[in-house]
Amino acid sequence: MFGGDEVSAVVIDLGSHTCKAGYAGEDSPKAVFPSAVGSIEHLGSVNDNQFDKVNESLVDSKNGVETIYTEKVNLKRKLYVGTQALGYRRDHMEVLSPFKDGVVTDWDIVDNIWTHTFRERLRIDPTKHPMLLAEPTFGSLHQRERAAELMFENYKVPALFVAKNAVLTSFSYGRFTSLVVDSGGGSTTVAPVLDGFALQKAVATSPIGGEFLTQCMMKSLESKGIVFRPQYSFKKKERSPGEYQVLDFDFPNTTQSYKMYFQRAIAADIKECVCRVPDTPYDEVAYSNIPTMSYELPDGQILEIGSDRFKAPDILFNPFLVQTITGMENSIDSVRLRGLPQMVIDSINVCDVDIRRELFSSILISGGTSLMHQLKERLEKDLIEESPQSARVKVFASSNSIERRYGVWIGGSILASLGSFQQMWFSKPEYEEHGAFYIHRKCD
Amino acid sequence: MDAKDILGIPKSFPASQEKKARPQKEPQRKPDGISREVYALTGGMAPLMPTIEVSHLKRKAVADKEKITWQWLPFTNSARRDSLQLYHWVRVVNGVPPTGDYQFAKYNKSVDIVKYTDEEYEKYLTDPMWTKEETDQLFDMCERFDLRFIVIADRFPSPRAVEELKNRYYSVSRALLITRAPSAADVAGHPLVKEPYSMTHEMERKRALSAVLSRTKQQELRDSEILSEAKRIMESRKASKGVESADLLDDHNDIEMTEKVTHTDSPSPSSNMQPTSTAAPSAPLTECATTPASLRMLRVYLRTHVLDQMVQAASSNAGPRTIKRVEQTLSDLGVHIKPKVPTKAVCAEHLELRKEILTLFNLQKQVHTQNSNFQYFAIVLLAICLDKSVPLCTIFLQKKCNAYIRSVV
Repeated sequence: MFGGDEVSAVVIDLGSHTCKAGYAGEDSPKAVFPSAVGSIEHLGSVNDNQFDKVNESLVDSKNGVETIYTEKVNLKRKLYVGTQALGYRRDHMEVLSPFKDGVVTDWDIVDNIWTHTFRERLRIDPTKHPMLLAEPTFGSLHQRERAAELMFENYKVPALFVAKNAVLTSFSYGRFTSLVVDSGGGSTTVAPVLDGFALQKAVATSPIGGEFLTQCMMKSLESKGIVFRPQYSFKKKERSPGEYQVLDFDFPNTTQSYKMYFQRAIAADIKECVCRVPDTPYDEVAYSNIPTMSYELPDGQILEIGSDRFKAPDILFNPFLVQTITGMENSIDSVRLRGLPQMVIDSINVCDVDIRRELFSSILISGGTSLMHQLKERLEKDLIEESPQSARVKVFASSNSIERRYGVWIGGSILASLGSFQQMWFSKPEYEEHGAFYIHRKCD
Repeated sequence: MDAKDILGIPKSFPASQEKKARPQKEPQRKPDGISREVYALTGGMAPLMPTIEVSHLKRKAVADKEKITWQWLPFTNSARRDSLQLYHWVRVVNGVPPTGDYQFAKYNKSVDIVKYTDEEYEKYLTDPMWTKEETDQLFDMCERFDLRFIVIADRFPSPRAVEELKNRYYSVSRALLITRAPSAADVAGHPLVKEPYSMTHEMERKRALSAVLSRTKQQELRDSEILSEAKRIMESRKASKGVESADLLDDHNDIEMTEKVTHTDSPSPSSNMQPTSTAAPSAPLTECATTPASLRMLRVYLRTHVLDQMVQAASSNAGPRTIKRVEQTLSDLGVHIKPKVPTKAVCAEHLELRKEILTLFNLQKQVHTQNSNFQYFAIVLLAICLDKSVPLCTIFLQKKCNAYIRSVV
């Protein structure tokens, strides 16, 4: 029953931080690039005709730029997608994300991202490959319809399926029933999955994700007087062997968002290298004398990071810590937010009593932020304390960092290559016959 | 051999013998396929693994009769209801693609949900708590989700509990089953008709389960403390009861023995009745008490085990020969030595029988000793009457007396 069949499906997981795409049946995505795009807006001439944006999109094959024509205002917008295009500094380039609070708000950007994926990265013809899309577990019905419309109208795919992130993560661990804790870039979601169906009423989300933690880290270090120099803004010149001099360049036309994006990239790297989840709740006094760890910034500065190593990750467990970081007090409503163990327990308690025990004994962790050291152990410890005695708490986390980061994508790859899945695609003839809302019947 | 050649050591056997030796050496020659040096390396023996013969290698190049290619072909899936054609790799033999349905289509199984028409609904299935639309929706979802009620409850538009949904579904199915069946007897065996879904029971059960699961750690600790306390009290109570029963058991044994002794002069079955009748009023008590003190400690025990112990207790004052005689008597009477069906009544009767037999033997022994005493006294009397010296004709007189007594008795 679980045999595989290769139909060359393509799996795309558009996350709030990175987009992952690749062929089904493989064990890791081929194309991984940031979901943020650079955009340069400039006014178009009045004589430009307003083409139907569906059919007429000029492709500049040189650097993957696609010009689109908006119908509302005569404004041309060039979008730069992908690590290479984004990494090259251009004047007036803003960094935009299609997501806001975890849901897609800007479908143009999504369209561009998909085109970039198909044409530049995977180099496939979308009309020949069925597509499996991953959507956020708490996504609305409208989002799914929009995605289906876009896929069928613009790309004319033969078949489509939209699956929830939590379900795919559960499949990547080989389980049908589990509680999935997905802490990715934009948010942390706790969702129970029963028999391959996500239980909507028990899903809990929190805006504290990897990017938020990066922000906290950055603010915390900046308050100590450290200035992050974005990588484009300086050049190291070698004065003598081993000794470098830093020359600053000034680019007055660089946008603030671009600068922030690069500063955040550096802070994210610091966070990934240095941070650890503390074994006990973070205490300012207890951790004040912790030995520091040194980190070298790209421009040669050496940082000594001490208690911040433990403070930032503990925000996941104790959101009120945000108040102690200067500059971040008002960013989120940390009073009403719950820590991760509390979210897990609340989510389980909403579920039916019969399945609670099973959920407790199969808690899965995935997502980029879950790669933080000691996260699994701390979560397990907190849960064992808070959970009822008769329930055995077991937290599973894949030891392979690739599997944890791309858990959703891998689940999609498994699902789309199963032989018994081939009857579940939402195909183009069905779309033409029933319309986009039929997708809700087919895809759960 | 080559080493000897190299070293120049002369051959030990003469040349004429070499010719004879050569056919003998044939089997020792190296097999084809390995060079001489390699063969010598292994010590001149065949290697443990079979070597690849060159002749085998050549044979592989000839392909099988069929021509197998792999092609990227479209396929249809009977589990799908539309005309979607996806492509996949297909093993094509001799240019003929395989026929038959998609191999995974057979896994498309679904649950059979009863379907009702509108009139059936009007007639049998109306319910004040449920509208027709909701019921229709429920059944539609049941089909989509294969009766996974927790998922259905999650996705149901109006907030209904899982038990309510189950209740509605099962009551509708049951009503339809009963009305559609030609007679009541046909469906009486159907599990839905025999045991209808009880919503209150389910809710009670879930409430209890959630209470169990929501106990905090402190409550658990307190509960376990209380339980261990209770256990200790129970143990101490049992221990005191066990001591009492041990005393009772000893008393009963004494009673038995004294009664046996006093009733030896009048050997009759009634003697046995008396101890049993005196025991009868106190039977309930003694029955508990006759179980040895050690058994009272056990909560669960096998009746045969108990029987053995009681038999042992009863026959503890009898020797092994007596026990054998008891068993011989039992088998003569046609009774199994160990009862075949060891119920309470049977075991009690069996025990009684054994006790009676023991008493019988005791009495017989008593009689026998009395008889021998009687004989002895009779001889002495005769000797005195005959007024002859006893030692001279003791044996002769004894024989005479015995013969006389036998004729009398």
